[in-house]
This record gives sequence, C-alpha cells and structure tokens, in this order.
Amino acid sequence: MTIPPNALCFGDEFPASGIPCLVHVEGHGLTITFPSDHDEGESRSESVSFSTVTVSAGGLDHDQLVLTWTGSTGPRTLYLKNPAVIRAFRQAAPEHLSRPLEQAAQQVRQVRQRHRTVWTVVGATLVALVLGLWFGSDVLVELAVDRIPVEWEQKLGESAYREFLAGQDVTKDGPAVAAVKEMTQRLAGQVPNSPYRFEVTVVKSDVVNAFALPGGYVVVFTGLMKKADSPEEVAGVLAHELNHVLQRHGLERIIKQLGFVAVVSIVLGNPPGLGGVMKQLGIDLMTMKFGRAQETEADVTGLQLLYRAKINPEGMITFFQRLAEKDEGRVEWLSTHPMSSARADHLKAQLAAMPKPKAEPFTFEWATVRAGLGVPSAAIP
Amino acid sequence: MKSEILYPGAFPMVRIELAEGEKIKAESGAMVACSPTIDIESKMEGGFLGALSRKFLTGEKFFFQTLRASRGAGEVLLASTVPGEVVILELDGVNEYMVQKDGFLAGADGVTIDSQMQSMTRGLLGGEGFFLLKMSGKGMLVLNSFGAIHKIELKPGQEYIVDNSHLVAWSSTTSYNIEKATSGWVASFTSGEGFVCRFRGPGLVFIQSRNPGGFGAWVRQFIPVSE
Repeated sequence: MTIPPNALCFGDEFPASGIPCLVHVEGHGLTITFPSDHDEGESRSESVSFSTVTVSAGGLDHDQLVLTWTGSTGPRTLYLKNPAVIRAFRQAAPEHLSRPLEQAAQQVRQVRQRHRTVWTVVGATLVALVLGLWFGSDVLVELAVDRIPVEWEQKLGESAYREFLAGQDVTKDGPAVAAVKEMTQRLAGQVPNSPYRFEVTVVKSDVVNAFALPGGYVVVFTGLMKKADSPEEVAGVLAHELNHVLQRHGLERIIKQLGFVAVVSIVLGNPPGLGGVMKQLGIDLMTMKFGRAQETEADVTGLQLLYRAKINPEGMITFFQRLAEKDEGRVEWLSTHPMSSARADHLKAQLAAMPKPKAEPFTFEWATVRAGLGVPSAAIP
Repeated sequence: MKSEILYPGAFPMVRIELAEGEKIKAESGAMVACSPTIDIESKMEGGFLGALSRKFLTGEKFFFQTLRASRGAGEVLLASTVPGEVVILELDGVNEYMVQKDGFLAGADGVTIDSQMQSMTRGLLGGEGFFLLKMSGKGMLVLNSFGAIHKIELKPGQEYIVDNSHLVAWSSTTSYNIEKATSGWVASFTSGEGFVCRFRGPGLVFIQSRNPGGFGAWVRQFIPVSE
C-alpha cells in the first residue's frame, strides 16, 4: 500500500490500539482498506454501506468523528481525524445521517467553544491578577506592615542594634550625648501617641553617618556631628531618620525584599515566622537602602517635625547640600541617602509654603559639644 | 533503525542501531554511551518558542538531544534517570499518544512532539498539569516510567479507572473523565486515592506501577531537616 493510512479501525479481532487503514468515501458508503501484515502480502478491503453506520464525536477532546457499525466479523469502530475524509463523508452522507452528523459537529464546536471560553477567562484572570499585584503591591505591603505588631518590630531592630553596637566604640556620656538626647527629646515630644521609645546612641567614629533601625533605635556617629556647623543641622538628620522609623520604612523594605509570599503569610497571620525567612534570604538591616519615595516622605515629614519642634528647618537643607558638595563619595550617609538637586528643591519648596518658623535655641552650646568631640575651636565659624 | 531493550526490568537500557545518516531525538541527558560515529547535538525541538512553551508549559526539558549517525552506522545506548521500565511503541502516522511530562525518553526523527493543552478540569485535577506532550507522526517512540509499565487495552466503549498519578501515556482515541475515587469527598481523600481518571476505549493506556509523587513524599520523611 503506497498511500499512507488516514484512519484507525477498532474491532474484536484487532489489537486494542486499533489498526491503521485507508478510508475512501464513495457514493454508497465507505471502502476501508487494511494494509497487509507483510510487505508482499495482499491488502484487504471492506465495504460499508451508509445505511448501517451510526456517527458520533469521540476521542480525547471529542474532536474525532467516530463511525460504528456491525459488519460480518462483528462490531467495528472507525476513528476519523483527517479533515479531508471527514469533509468527504459529510458531503456524501445520505439524509438519515445528516442529523447525527450535525449533532456531532455541534458537540465538537461546543467543546472547542468551552475550551476557548475557559482559557480566555483564566487568561484574563491571570492578567488581571498580575496587573493588580504590580500596581497594588504598595497597598499590599502597607496592609502587611499594618499587621506586624510594633513589639515585634522592636525586637527585630533591637537585636540588630545590639549586635552592631557590640563592635563599636560607644560614647556613654559627655556634651555630645547630652546634645543628641535633647534633640531627640524635642523631636519625639512632637509625636503624640507614638508607639516607639526612641533610643539614641552616639558612636565614636569618623564615619559621617547616622541611621535608624526599625523599632526606634538610632545611631549617630561623631563624624557626622563634627561635620555639622550648627545643632540644627544634626537635628535635621535626626528628624529625617526618626521619620523612617515612624513611617515604618524599614519594615516596608523588608517585606518588599521578602516578596509576595511573605506578604501573603503576614496578611493571613504568622508574623514571628518572618525573622527566619529574613535570615534565610540574608536580608541585613544594616545595609538596607530605602526607596526614593520613602526618602522623600522622610524628608517632608522630617521637615514638618522640625517645624513643630521649633527647630530651624533651614539647617536640614543646608547640611544635606553641603555634604553633597564637599565630600562626594566619602560621606556614608549620602551613600544610603543619595542627594539630588531635585530633593533639595523639593524641600525648599515645602519650607517656603510653611509660615515663618519660630525657632527656639537649644540649651547647650554647640561650640562646647564640638570641643568635646575634639574639633579645634578655630574651626568653629 | 533497530531498537532493543537491554536488561528489562527496573534498570533497563535501550540500544538503538542507526544506519548512516539516521538520527533520533532523546530527552536531554538520556544518552549513556554511543559509537564514535554518532554526533550529539542539542536542539530546541519546535524552534525557540516551541521549546520555551514546552519548558514552561509541560515542565519537559528545553533542549532535546539529537543523536545523528553522521560518520557511519553506529549504536546508542539510552536510559532514563529514574528506575523504571521502558516501552517501545511504533507510530504509524495515524495513531497518536498523549504522554505525561516525564514519560518521553526518545523518538525517531519522524515523531513530532507538541505540547497540548488540556481542559480545565483535567488540568486542575488530573495531576498531569495543564499541558501534555502529544506524540504524532511516524516511527519509533520510547517511553519510560517509574516502576514497571503496564499496558491496558480498551475495546470500544470499555472503561477502566486509573489513579491519576500512575499515568504514563494513552492513545488519543481514548477519552477520560476525572472523578472522585469514592462517592464521598472525605472518603475520596482518606482512601488515599483522591481523584481518579475513568478512561473509555478504544485505545491503549500505559500506566506505571509506582507513583513518583508518593515515592518522593515517602523519601522525604527520612531526609534529616537541616537548619
């Protein structure tokens, strides 16, 4: 047989996988030619009249035309998949088969239609979910952050804080510590009902930096204080850092880094498990950077806090700008808080929109504080 | 092309003799040994997008390897990763098989591999995923299983019930429905069967005597949990 088979025939004496055969549609019915078992053998043919055939749809996806009839050798089933044969069969089929044929075709169409509908719905749902997550992730993160109790945040921050301080030269008392404490008290006093008890430590180091950990743990390096010309400048940095804590920016970052799974697990419960996940993912609170939106938020709320605490907010802006101009690349605080002209402009615009600040001086002398840090008095402007 | 199964049983190998110029495709990593006349090429069957869709949709490997007897006749030895039997089928251009994602070991060059989408209920509950490999075309097809492979022959209209995680391959002339194993929902799961597939002939259904997922769960309890 040279023409390849185009159908599968099943019958009692055939193997269960069926026998490939060649189907010809003729005026009176079908001629089915079976290939011979051997290459030299004769192929044999069967003729089936349309009058004995019943039709239906079948196969895995109900997309094959199934013909059944009882021949001389018992029941026969023929599976047609070849579109050309199916078309020829439909054209040649007599009146009494057109109804079941139409029903079978209808069934195939229904199955295809249902597949299409289901997959369209699933696809659309998936796209909607992805889009929703993409644009709604901030909302989700905020939701998750709201679920985390402050005590847990404090535990997280405290362990990182203690770990960090263990390897540092902590300044326990002296004018610098007193000055930083006074600044913090004035700022924190303007945040009523704050769940955070701020703890500020001065660390002796030339690093020009200050940072706040979740839960209200703040570290100020003496290097930053040496660089400041006035206490208002240090207070500006403190106000900015305190607001990272108050707005729970650290937690938002952690949750964003942990990803969606963590968000879901927090929204649905089980926050204590997060610490383990953080450890696994190697998230380090010390090296964590805040996002641009978070910096802007901390800037603006920090400015407002300074204003309420009656500390001149100009110091914040000028200090940021001066740090950016002077020691580019050497000031650590800027590596985690990149300064841009847009950021300074934004702060200036915010300040201009506020009524004239009524600044009250601090109780300490900045010159004394600086002298205590070892800055020669000649350097004081 | 001649093929034979060596060491039938749990750890079989398939030897395929290739005449000069003949080639076969195999699951990547399936080649155990071959004659020096055979060239091994890595090929993205069905083009880049086809390979990509197969990788992501069925979990099959991105690349298949092509073994070509380019410098004269030779033989290749193939084996699968898991212990289990191997079966060789012959596709004649009319019969087609649906193969679950891990079932394919090798095929003649004339065998076409497509990924085919299943209906929603079968995809969700069948345990085979939404996409299966559809083998059509002409030539030899080698399937592998986890455990022994068992062939179920179904006459037209004959039905048989198979636990869904034991499926390897089935002809496209069969149809199947997903059902609860018992009449009640709770009993369905406490019986350990969950969902089952009710196959309806005509056609062949190949099943494996071991359930890979179940085996994995069993092994997991012996693996020490590390911090």
